[in-house]
Amino acid sequence: MSYAIETVGLNHYYSKGTVQQVAAIQDINIQIEKGSLVGIIGHTGSGKSTLISHFNGLLKPDSGKVLVDGVDIWQDKETLRNSRFKVGLCFQYPEYQLFEETVYKDIAFGPKNMKLSEDEIKSRVLRAAAFVGVKPEHLEKSPFDLSGGEKRRVAIAGVMSMEPEVLIFDEPAAGLDPRGRKSLIGMITEYRKQTGSTVIIVSHSMEDIACMADKVIVMNNARVAMQGSVDEVYSRGEELRSMGLNIPEITEIFARLRARGIDVPASVYTVEQGAAILGSLINGRSGK
Amino acid sequence: MSEKIIEFENVSFVYDTDEEEQAEPKPALTDINLEIEKGEFVAVLGHNGSGKSTLAKLCNAIFEPTSGKVTVKGIVADSEEKADEIRRIVGMVFQNPDNQIVATIVEDDVAFGPENLGVEPKEIRRRVDEALKSVNMYEFRHREPHKLSGGQKQRVAIAGVIAMQTECIVLDEPTAMLDPMGRAEVMQTVKRLNKEMGITVVLVTHFMDEAVQADRVIVMDSGRIVMNGKPREIFSRVDALRSHGLDVPQSTELCHRLGIKEGVLSVDECVDELARLLGGAR
Amino acid sequence: MIRDITIGQYYPGKSVLHRLDPRVKLITTFWLIIVIFLCKSFFSLGLIALTAVITAAISRVPPKMILKSLKPIVIILIFTAVLNVFYVQGGETYFQWWKIAVTEKGVNTAVFTMVRIISLVIISSLLTYTTTPTMLTDALERVLSPLKVFKIKVHTLAMMMTLALRFIPTLIEEIDRIMNAQKARGADLESGGIIQRAKALVPIFVPLMVSSFRRAYELAFAMTCRCYTGGEGRTRMKQMKLCLRDFAAIFFCAAVTAGVIVLNFYFDAVI
Repeated sequence: MSYAIETVGLNHYYSKGTVQQVAAIQDINIQIEKGSLVGIIGHTGSGKSTLISHFNGLLKPDSGKVLVDGVDIWQDKETLRNSRFKVGLCFQYPEYQLFEETVYKDIAFGPKNMKLSEDEIKSRVLRAAAFVGVKPEHLEKSPFDLSGGEKRRVAIAGVMSMEPEVLIFDEPAAGLDPRGRKSLIGMITEYRKQTGSTVIIVSHSMEDIACMADKVIVMNNARVAMQGSVDEVYSRGEELRSMGLNIPEITEIFARLRARGIDVPASVYTVEQGAAILGSLINGRSGK
Repeated sequence: MSEKIIEFENVSFVYDTDEEEQAEPKPALTDINLEIEKGEFVAVLGHNGSGKSTLAKLCNAIFEPTSGKVTVKGIVADSEEKADEIRRIVGMVFQNPDNQIVATIVEDDVAFGPENLGVEPKEIRRRVDEALKSVNMYEFRHREPHKLSGGQKQRVAIAGVIAMQTECIVLDEPTAMLDPMGRAEVMQTVKRLNKEMGITVVLVTHFMDEAVQADRVIVMDSGRIVMNGKPREIFSRVDALRSHGLDVPQSTELCHRLGIKEGVLSVDECVDELARLLGGAR
Repeated sequence: MIRDITIGQYYPGKSVLHRLDPRVKLITTFWLIIVIFLCKSFFSLGLIALTAVITAAISRVPPKMILKSLKPIVIILIFTAVLNVFYVQGGETYFQWWKIAVTEKGVNTAVFTMVRIISLVIISSLLTYTTTPTMLTDALERVLSPLKVFKIKVHTLAMMMTLALRFIPTLIEEIDRIMNAQKARGADLESGGIIQRAKALVPIFVPLMVSSFRRAYELAFAMTCRCYTGGEGRTRMKQMKLCLRDFAAIFFCAAVTAGVIVLNFYFDAVI
C-alpha cells in the first residue's frame, strides 16, 4: 500500500545560485500513512511551512521527490494540478483569503476550479458548511460581515469542500481564544473521524499536538530533527527545549516529580491523564 | 497612598454602526468602573469579543466613551488637545506588529514618537538608544523592520513607546500573532518595564500564563468586568473562568482537579505541593 | 526568501559618496544631469563621462552593479543609435547601399547620444546606490520645504512616500501569501487569455484590498497613539549638517560645469 504522502530526499533552497543561498529544507525523507493524523512542530523559520507547501506542489523541490498516493506530483502538468485537489492546504489566518460576494460562492471556489457539476458543487458546499457550523442563513451573506471566528470557519470550509484525501492545517488556532481553540480542535478531530482522511497539523502548541496526533515530526534548522509517536518525541524534553520548543506543562510537572524520586510515568500529556494517575496515587497513600 | 493613573467611571461604549440592519447596536462596554494605580501591572482577560480591546482603546483616548468618564491623571479627553496630552502619558502597543511600524529603519521608527512631541534632536538620540537597549534591540537599530521576527518587531514597537517616556503602557494582545519564542521575549520585556522602570502596564491578553504574571487580573465578558482581583484569587475560581470562555494554566487545573490546592500559579508551586503530598525528595 | 527583498538599490558602503549629505547628493545629481544636456562638443561630453567614471570609482560600488543598472536601457540605446545613424545625414559618407547611407554626422550623433544617456544613467544610479530610500525621502522633504510657501504639503508627501517604502515589502509578502492560498484552492493564474487571466486576479485583488484597508486603519490608530498630528511642531532625530566634503562636492560640480562651458565654447558642436 502506498503512503498518503511520501518525500524522498527533498531539498529546497532560497536565493538559489546566489551567494546568499540558504537551505529552507534539506534532505527530508518522511512517510505519512493514510488515515493518520500527523503533527509537524518546529519554531518559526525551521522549514515547516516550506515543507507543507511542497505537499501540494506550490513549491517545486530543487531536488528530491514528493509522492502523493505513490505518484510523483511533478511527473506532468495534469498530476500536478490534481495534487492541489488531492492535498488541501489551509494556511495560517485563512480568513484573509476570502474574496467572494457570498459565503456560498467562496466555499464553492475550490470545487468550481475542480470543474465539478453544479449539483456536486452544491452538495459539497452544503456539506462543508454544515460541518464547520456555518448557519444556512449565513450562506447568502457577505463573508466580510461575519465575525472573526465565523470567517475562519468559512475559510476552512472553502478547503474542506474540495474533499481532499489529505488535509493540511497551518496553525489553525492562531489568534483564537481558549474557547475557539478548543472547538476548532474538536472540529478537526471530528472531521477525521467522519471522513477517515489523512490530516496534517502544523502547530506551535505542543499541548494541542499531544492530544491529537498519531505521529509527530519535529523540524529544526531545515531538517527533520525527530519523528515518531507522541511518546517517543515528547520524552526528549531537553532536546526539544534546545530547539526552542516547550513540552506541555503537565509533562514538565511529571518530569520534575520523577526527578524528585517519585515513581510516576513519564508519558503524560494531558491534564486528564495526569489527574487520574496522581489521584489514585494520592488516594493509595491516604488509604495506607 | 498610591496614585491613580487611569480611572473609568460608569463607562459605556457603543460602536457606531452605519448599517440599519441591527436596530439596536449592542454595547461593546457596559458600566465599567475601574481604577489603575501607578506602577501596577494589570492583565485584562477575556475571550474574543468580550470588550477587552475596546477597553484598551479607551485608555488613551482613541475612543471616547458613549457615556461615563475616563480620566487619565486627572485629565478628561474632551478635546483634541487633551487627548494628545493623554497620549503623552499612556502609550499603546497593538496586536499586529506590522501595522504599527512607520519607518523603514528600526531607529527611525523608535524616534517617531519623540519627534512628534517636538523633543530636541540630541535628546531623541539619547532616548532612542536607551529605549532600544532596554528591549535588547540595540544591535538591530540599523535594520529594516520587515526583516525582523514578530517578537523583535513588537519589541521595537515597545521601544517606540518607551522613547516617548509615557508613564503607562497599554498592550492590546501584543503576543496573539507570535510564536512561543516571540511571546516569551515580549513578556520578559513587559515585565522588565514594570519592575525595573516602574512603568504602569495594562496587558490585554487571552493567554492565561501571561495573566498569571500580573499584579492584578481583570476578567471581562460581554462588555462587563466580571472578575477583578489578584491572580491567585482569580485562578482559584476555575469553573467561573471556564464559564467566561477562558481556561487556566495546566498546573492550576491539575491541583484543582485533584482537590489539593486552589489558585496554584506555577509549575514550581504545583510540583512542590505534589511532592509534599507524595513524599518525594526535595 | 521573498521577505528579504530590499526596496531601491542601495549598496551599503562607507565611501565619501555614501557619507555626503543626501540633500547635496540630490541637488548635485540634478545639477549634473542638467549639465549633461548642456554639452555640445565631444570634449565637454568627455569631461562629463570622465566625471561619471571617477565618481563611480569613488563610490566603491562594484562596476558589475553599475553595468547592471545599464542593462534595462540597452534596447533604448540600440534603438536611438540606429535611428541616429540612419536619419541624421551630413558630412562624409562612409557607406551607402540603396537609399540607406551612413554618414559622418550620423555616426557622431549616435555615439554622442549614447555616451550622453550612459553618463546620465550612471550618475543618477549612483545616487540611489549610495543613498537609502529613507534618506532620499528625507532629503527630498528638506530640499522641497521652501515650497511650503505655495501651500504644498511637503511633509505629508514625504510621509506618504516613507509609508509606501515601509509597506511595499509587507504587501509583496501578503500578495505571495494570498496567491498561495488561492492556488491551493485550485485557482489557475497561469493559463487562459487576457480576460481569463484578469478574472483570475479577482481572488487575489479583493483580499489584498481588504487587508490593505485594515492595515491603513490600524496604522492610523497607531500613528495617532504616537502623537502624530502632521508636520507642525515636529523635530527630527537625524539632523543634516553640511560639512567640508559637501562643499567640496558642490565645488567639484561647479568646476565641471565651468569646464563644460569652456569646452563648448572652444570646440565644434556635434549637434
